[in-house]
Amino acid sequence: MLILALGLGVWEALVRYYDVPPWLLPAPSDIAGRFVKATNLLYHTGLTVLEALAGFAVSAVLGITLSALIVHSRFLERGVFPYIVISNAIPIIAVIPLLTIWFGYGIAPKIMIASIITFFPIVTNTTRGLKAADRRILDFMRSINATRREIFFKVQLPSALPYIFAGFKIAASLSLVGAVVAEFYGSDRGLGYLVITSATQLRTDLLFVSIIVLATLGVSAFALFGYLEKLALRGEQAQ
Amino acid sequence: MRLEGVNVSFRTPDQEVQALRGVSLDVGEGEFVALLGPTGCGKSTLLRVVSDLTPPSSGVVEVRGGPAAGARHANEFGFVFQEPALLPWRSALGNVMLPLEVVRYPEQQRRARCEALLGMVGLSKFVNRYPHELSGGMKQRVAIVRALAWNPSILLMDEPFSALDELTKNQLQDELLEIWSRERKTVLFVTHNISEAVYLADRVIVMSPHPGRIVAAIPIELPRPRAPGVRETLEFVQHVKRAREALDRDARPSPRCATACCSGWRRRC
Repeated sequence: MLILALGLGVWEALVRYYDVPPWLLPAPSDIAGRFVKATNLLYHTGLTVLEALAGFAVSAVLGITLSALIVHSRFLERGVFPYIVISNAIPIIAVIPLLTIWFGYGIAPKIMIASIITFFPIVTNTTRGLKAADRRILDFMRSINATRREIFFKVQLPSALPYIFAGFKIAASLSLVGAVVAEFYGSDRGLGYLVITSATQLRTDLLFVSIIVLATLGVSAFALFGYLEKLALRGEQAQ
Repeated sequence: MRLEGVNVSFRTPDQEVQALRGVSLDVGEGEFVALLGPTGCGKSTLLRVVSDLTPPSSGVVEVRGGPAAGARHANEFGFVFQEPALLPWRSALGNVMLPLEVVRYPEQQRRARCEALLGMVGLSKFVNRYPHELSGGMKQRVAIVRALAWNPSILLMDEPFSALDELTKNQLQDELLEIWSRERKTVLFVTHNISEAVYLADRVIVMSPHPGRIVAAIPIELPRPRAPGVRETLEFVQHVKRAREALDRDARPSPRCATACCSGWRRRC
């Protein structure tokens, strides 16, 4: 905290002393002033968060479901999983224009991008977690005629939780990246739009404001899932 | 329990491994049988075949007069492994309750039953502890009563004490004998510890690897109930000697792995 304050102080002093033009590097006080004055900031932030959240939610539901199916079916594991891995190698940015052609400039393609970009870490982590269940426990469950459903809900899913949360943590910040990048291309609102327009108009103070908001969002998302993880895994500590 | 001419082979990408060859075995109701042999002799596979987790490639497996699958569906098997294999997110009590949830044990009686079982192995004060708060011996006690919870008639134990220190091991052996003498379960107890096999069992089945097969059956004629002092008697030592000789006699390496397998039990090659 002290270091942060000190850094900001030095920054402020240097900008003032050398009279750096505000389009190149605005002083912290200018940025703070812009932060207070930016009237639409809440609206843009809310929209981006909504897109990221929606994309994340879609991914989480579809991803965990698919992982459960993959673990239960050899066919899916061999037939579908490789495609998921391959699809992850496609630079997602290249797909945005295509989705925009198909689904227009609204909120839908942004949600899709956020969901596509988070899908891979969620699926791979969940699948790995579901497979990490203790083999002997699975034997034990089978020896007492547990149904697949019981094995899944009583053993596999709980043992996958740490892995799922690890995936969620990665996906949370990725979903923001997805939403913002999607907003770069063809959009008239959202933090991504704010970043692009403020950059092209050399409103560097606003650009800084957007970046700070995004950084805060990313860190909070990560922290939130860290907290949820701790709640969910209460009782069993790292073994 | 009866096995006749049981063969089990697994196919790996480059070869076929015979885990069990021509295994025939009769185990009486309430008998305590130890399966003794070095690693890789198919002891664990034998347990899996008996409990219908691994199908035999050929041969007959009969449990209580019916096929093994029938016994499994009747929840006759209680499994205990080398590691406790408890669920870390459940307390000791929760872990013992797990099988009761699966076998649809009457709901009102579950808790009382599990608490009584944990009390029986001296864990009354630890019912609400999580596995990471328990010692190795305590965890294994939980695993044992978990396998007893729904009162199965057959206990399948796969080297349950081999990861424990000597003192804890002896303690648990005596506790197991006590439980067994009270509840009269049929026990198949896999171990590679000769004196453990002799101390616990009515009969020691000696097995040999590559391929896994039975090479000797040694009835243990030591009086019951057995107390730790038995270990120092001449009779006990003679039984241990016979078991060791049976193991050694068959420890000649098969030509295929004369060099690769020259370790442990195969010291003489």
